[in-house]
Amino acid sequence: MRVAASAIPLSVRDHVVPRHTLAAVFVRAFAIQGSWNYKTLIGSGFAFSMLPALRAIHRGDDAALNAALERHAQLFNSHPYLAPMALGAVIRLEEDRENPAVIERFKAAVRGSLGTMGDRLVWAGLRPACLLAALVLLFIGTPWWISVAAFFVTYNVAHFALRAWSFRLGLREGMGVGEQLRKHPIGNAQRFLSAAGAFMAGAALPLISAGGVVAAGLPIWWLVFGGAAAIVGARFGPRIRTPLVILLAAFYAVGLFLKIAQ
Amino acid sequence: MNWLGVALIGGLVGLDSTSFPQVMISRPLVAGCLTGIVFGRPIEGTMVGAILEMFALVIQPLGAARYPEAGTGAVAASAAYLSVSADGISPGILLLAVVFGLAWEWVGSISVIALRRINELLVADAMMFANMNPGVLQRRHLAAMSLDFVRGVIVCTTGWVGGWALLKTLTPYWSMGPGPALGVLGIAGAAATAALLPLFGGWNQQKLAFTLGVICGSLLLLFR
Repeated sequence: MRVAASAIPLSVRDHVVPRHTLAAVFVRAFAIQGSWNYKTLIGSGFAFSMLPALRAIHRGDDAALNAALERHAQLFNSHPYLAPMALGAVIRLEEDRENPAVIERFKAAVRGSLGTMGDRLVWAGLRPACLLAALVLLFIGTPWWISVAAFFVTYNVAHFALRAWSFRLGLREGMGVGEQLRKHPIGNAQRFLSAAGAFMAGAALPLISAGGVVAAGLPIWWLVFGGAAAIVGARFGPRIRTPLVILLAAFYAVGLFLKIAQ
Repeated sequence: MNWLGVALIGGLVGLDSTSFPQVMISRPLVAGCLTGIVFGRPIEGTMVGAILEMFALVIQPLGAARYPEAGTGAVAASAAYLSVSADGISPGILLLAVVFGLAWEWVGSISVIALRRINELLVADAMMFANMNPGVLQRRHLAAMSLDFVRGVIVCTTGWVGGWALLKTLTPYWSMGPGPALGVLGIAGAAATAALLPLFGGWNQQKLAFTLGVICGSLLLLFR
């Protein structure tokens, strides 16, 4: 009976959880990291987001509701934008009265992949690409509000679309989300965003080196220093950040010393 | 009323960076811009935010990694810069504000770690699991979010005051002209931006896209 229920497409299934309750879960998922901690990571946020759906599923049975909350408040992790996929899938499994041990195994199986996929797609792809595009706009003299609004709107259109897509996919596929993810062209999206980010980083470099960030119009030969710095930056990657901060502080200290020494 | 605006933005930025809703008002570019709007000088606020953004781009908030909290640092640095400088660009003050903002990001980071430890007591202790019910869970989760808001307010307002005091004290002793300060910011920004390349797959994988970008950027520089 359980297997048969899972096999029925979402559109024709008799849902225990009404649409407005699913919408409440989706909205709560924006706060899934609200109580992030080192013991359960986003476990309590997961249970907080699931609560409206669990109330609908366990209506009139407080003991079952509390037991379900306790299970879902245990250790869980995911990229926040892809967490709705796990929420949707688990709602479907709870609707189907799946064995709690099976649900736990499913959550343990998806948490690593949802985290890694989201980190690559969003933190290392979408976000830097959108921010670099906004910086390029700013450095070529576009008004500040257009640059900032362009980033905010573009990024969040993709952000909200990703959340909505992942929630629907989870609800539709239940335990089959892993297989569906392999079929979706997420790898292509990652590659596209990485190339777009690399292009934008390249475009930003000459503008930054020439003082575009403060519209300073530094002499063109500053580009040589900027180019050399870019080569060093590309060679060392994120490790260069702390030495750069120290160098900036040291440069300021030299400026102070010269004044005091006068 | 600037203090109220900075406190409110600080709280929202602190909340947005992890807890809710992660729409990226916590990015230095946006946080700096919002702080600039509070002070009635959005161009300068956005400028400070954009500089700090170049250094924040390489930070990856992966899992339980400890990383500088760029958003609250940007609010503190922008507010301090705007409080001390006159209208327009003051390169010496700008350089110090950026250095201060980059350092203050680590204060934000320490406060995030402390909050996560407090959250363990709030939502991950045995008592809560023993008495689990919807009311307990919701109250504790929302309490954790409220604490994050308060944390953002405290980090940003104390950063603003501390940055203001630092900038006010050291600015008279700055000896260099505008060129070196702006130049060194440009060079450091270029190194920080290029440091993103390994994140996108490295030179071998992205040499075509990156080179095309450099060509386009150079053309934009020539014709802007």
